[in-house]
Amino acid sequence: MKPNDDRKYVIALIFVLIPLIFVVKLFYMQVVDDKWKDRAAQISENRILTYPSRGIVYDRNNVKIISNEIYYDIHVIPKMAIGIDSVALVNLLGITMADYTAKMNIARAFSMRKPSEIVRQIPPNEFSLIAPELYKYPGFFEVARTLRVYPKKIAAHALGYMNEANLDDIKKDGYYQPGDYIGRTGIEKMYEKQLRGKRGVKYYLQDAMGVSTGKYEDGKYDTLAIQGKNITLTIDAELQAYGEKLMQNKLGSIVAIEPSTGEILAMISAPTYDPNLLVGRHLGNNYGKLQEDTLLPLQNRSMNSAYMPGSIFKTVMALIALQEGVVTENASFPCNKELAGCHDHPMAQNISDGVKFSCNPYFIQLTRRIIQQRKDRSIFKDAAIGIDLWAKYVRSFGIGVDLKIDYPTNVHGNVPDAAYYNEHLKFRWAFSTVQSIAIGQGEVLITPLQMANLAAAIANRGYFVAPHFIKKIEGEKIPEIYTKKQKTMVDAAYFEPVIDGMWRVVHEPGGTAQRARVDSLHVCGKTGTVENFKKISGRVYQLTDHSNFMAFAPRNNPQIAISVFIENAGFGGTWAAPIASLLIEKYINGEVLDTAKENYILNANLIPDASDIIRK
Amino acid sequence: MRGPENKIFAHVDWTFLALYFILVILGISTIYSAVYDPDHPSLFDLDTEHGKQIMWLGISLFLGTIIFFLESNFIRKYAYWIYGTTMLLLVAVLFTSPIHGARSWFGFGSLGIQPSEFAKIGVALALAKFIDQNNAVKEGKSANKNQGLATLWGVIPFIAKNRETALIIGIPCALVLLQPDAGTFIVFTSFLLVLYREGYAGNILLFLVVALIIATITLLVADTNFMLLFTKIKLSGKAGILIVLGVLTSIFLLVIRNFVLKRNRKGAYRALIGSVLVAVALVYTVEGAYTNILRSHQKERIDLLLGKIDDPDGKGYNINRAKAAIGSGGFLGKGYQAATLANSSQKHVPMQSTDFIFCTWSEERGFVGSFVFIVLYTFMLLKMIVIGERQRSVFTRVYAYCVASIFFYHFMINIGMAIGLAPVIGIPLPFFSYGGSSMMSFSVLFFILLKLDSERKVVLQ
Repeated sequence: MKPNDDRKYVIALIFVLIPLIFVVKLFYMQVVDDKWKDRAAQISENRILTYPSRGIVYDRNNVKIISNEIYYDIHVIPKMAIGIDSVALVNLLGITMADYTAKMNIARAFSMRKPSEIVRQIPPNEFSLIAPELYKYPGFFEVARTLRVYPKKIAAHALGYMNEANLDDIKKDGYYQPGDYIGRTGIEKMYEKQLRGKRGVKYYLQDAMGVSTGKYEDGKYDTLAIQGKNITLTIDAELQAYGEKLMQNKLGSIVAIEPSTGEILAMISAPTYDPNLLVGRHLGNNYGKLQEDTLLPLQNRSMNSAYMPGSIFKTVMALIALQEGVVTENASFPCNKELAGCHDHPMAQNISDGVKFSCNPYFIQLTRRIIQQRKDRSIFKDAAIGIDLWAKYVRSFGIGVDLKIDYPTNVHGNVPDAAYYNEHLKFRWAFSTVQSIAIGQGEVLITPLQMANLAAAIANRGYFVAPHFIKKIEGEKIPEIYTKKQKTMVDAAYFEPVIDGMWRVVHEPGGTAQRARVDSLHVCGKTGTVENFKKISGRVYQLTDHSNFMAFAPRNNPQIAISVFIENAGFGGTWAAPIASLLIEKYINGEVLDTAKENYILNANLIPDASDIIRK
Repeated sequence: MRGPENKIFAHVDWTFLALYFILVILGISTIYSAVYDPDHPSLFDLDTEHGKQIMWLGISLFLGTIIFFLESNFIRKYAYWIYGTTMLLLVAVLFTSPIHGARSWFGFGSLGIQPSEFAKIGVALALAKFIDQNNAVKEGKSANKNQGLATLWGVIPFIAKNRETALIIGIPCALVLLQPDAGTFIVFTSFLLVLYREGYAGNILLFLVVALIIATITLLVADTNFMLLFTKIKLSGKAGILIVLGVLTSIFLLVIRNFVLKRNRKGAYRALIGSVLVAVALVYTVEGAYTNILRSHQKERIDLLLGKIDDPDGKGYNINRAKAAIGSGGFLGKGYQAATLANSSQKHVPMQSTDFIFCTWSEERGFVGSFVFIVLYTFMLLKMIVIGERQRSVFTRVYAYCVASIFFYHFMINIGMAIGLAPVIGIPLPFFSYGGSSMMSFSVLFFILLKLDSERKVVLQ
């Protein structure tokens, strides 16, 4: 053997060792580590999302109240935008030169070959002027997208609005991506999942410049966009529009419910606004203006405001007293004005009279019977037992509780019980301390929705169905809660005297709501006039009373239950009652014949000014 | 009975020849897949790279046939002439106008010839002839005695004693650096493996490994600073290395004093001091070369390899795309012509038909393909050693090792670069990458070896 012959083994070893290292490294890269596969997908694949159109919303008579409209964004591919007459283009698109320059710089920095947005959401009528000129500007092209449109311009509060999903939304629900729109309030929010549909994805291969070169795996992983579901609401667009017209120049709300089903026929909060204002590129601007308005047009007063109920609450007191057996329908109490102020009226001989005259002392004495039933020797303990029982009754009418309406709200009013008074009163209390609750003043708070629901419960003689907007969802059942009857704690048998009283309120001379009469219809109603205090720079002022009215009609087999609440308008019978009657007439008869009453309401401006403050 | 033709092909190593065809055909199929263009679907379309590559293969086979009909003595006899011609070409190319900043090409229309590819053949033949004539590499006097890095002390005496060898390798090294072409320069250092085989001081390999480690550490800490422990003195990374070297030296000094026989101590001290001096010189050389000689893109490539910069879409674009292509191949690959990155219609991986051809292969064939390819290649390299070792002729043996070393370097750097184990150095993968000069020069290298080997029985009658 020659001296260096064994060196061939060293070289051979090197020739094996290096490839071995390569094999190990390749095994790691290609089989073990997924990092490079992700990286490769990121480099070579492009996901293009296809957007479904959002579900259409119909009213109960299949009138479109929310639909979609095509808007146009103008995009640019900077590399293709050569020889552009930018002055002419800026004029055509209706933007400023500074804006154009800034957008173009952003687009160029993003990518020379990929499109970027220059102008957003040009409405179709404006785009029809731009489209025939656009060919003069190579690299610029339109991208169509749909936005919400509200053809009837009604029910802004109930329908809600949409805006871009924020970081919180994206974190909460992985479906959303920056730039997506999401239902922010009302029906748009409540039925977001049904309305939005499902995005589709198409995977493309892209080259090093980001230009698509073909479908990835022949579209094996592509999904189609699924259109949003159409839904039908319980709202009657015509009634809603009429109610909004009547509520012009007034603050307040109207809620109308079909008693047998709990379907909301109309929900008006005044002042309202055109829902089309909160769509598209002007949303931010318009929203700001609405938000600054001192009359709070964005506030949904029909559900997100709670007021003292006033005299309409007396009906509930009468029903509880009858059920508890502490009075009979022929109970008579003197109009003792030392107990509470009252107007002059003949003495109430029975429950029906009490309701008709809305006698304050009558109901205080009646409610005392409910609360102080002498179940305990201590008058204080007795009151506590009584008020808890009373509160249970009141809540069974849907007052002060969550009605589970399909509308995002967390205002549910208030029904005080023993625990509430123990917490809020610094001294021992009995019925006489809190007696104003009997006439709907004091600690009881109720939303207009709950008032309408109360009217429905009385109309139904003892039950209601949770009020709701949803009538039909394409391919889906509506939640069970909206078909289930919820019984009040008062039996049907006890309702007749109260309903009789409510009929007489409207139909008999001396009733508080004769303006609510509709010829040929038996309307039952109850007025309320709600005292109203406001703290202004540290001093408490009494403001003009709120005018309140609840009603249903016809008396037998009722088709509509309604509550009308007008802020700072005075007596319930003066304003709220005629508005309710107009809506009842409109809904049941299909037209309003009493044009005098209609004009009286349309011409009224009840928006309070400084003179409405009564110095106390 | 035997005609002359029979005699010519009598002892041809058919397995070796088969390896050639397997690799070349796989290479062309991969190029076809990488640059496939629906407008030019024909395999033989000369407007396409695969079509041209087939043409180059034809020319290469023609050259191979000529080589087979030459007297093998002719090759031996004219080895220096061939060497001289290729060197002249290397000089001549310096007078062309630069393409991409380097004077490496003679252009003929759309075709180009890279003389440095052919210089490898010249050097291999000249080296083989010289060592054959002188029968051995002359040892430096102290080479065998000294240990470790001190071996380098032997470099100067070695060069002095083997002036001709040093010149044979040194001239083309200098000429390609003038182009400049760092990749080919590194390939020329592959001849060190041949010298090693032929008897040059064995510790050269150990030296290279240690030098590589020191160089890597030096580059890693080159422009960093650190605080000296327990103090507030700020020191450069280089100072840190020197301190570590000092500590190591002290430890070794103590070891020698306590554990080495007195009569050997003097030699040991000398070796240690020699090693330290070489190491310090190395640190300074590497750092100096890095900061002063390397061009900025070369520095970037080294920094990328060492992980000092991470810029997947900028400076690290090439290597990041290459790794993504290979890594996304998975176990079985995406299938022929189904690459989504290393494909000319996608253009994500640059130079995917030349320097990064392995990416296309690996993305389409997955780990299984990578494994098969590396096994094939390793088999070919080992086959070259076997061929070298079975020769009675020193000339053929040296030549075989030259070919093996060249192929090995190309393979090691090209694949290593694609998978991120070597810096990005643009050299082709023999028989696989698209390119006329490389196709022809590697084929000629190969066919000369095949021819010489086929005459192993008759060479020394």
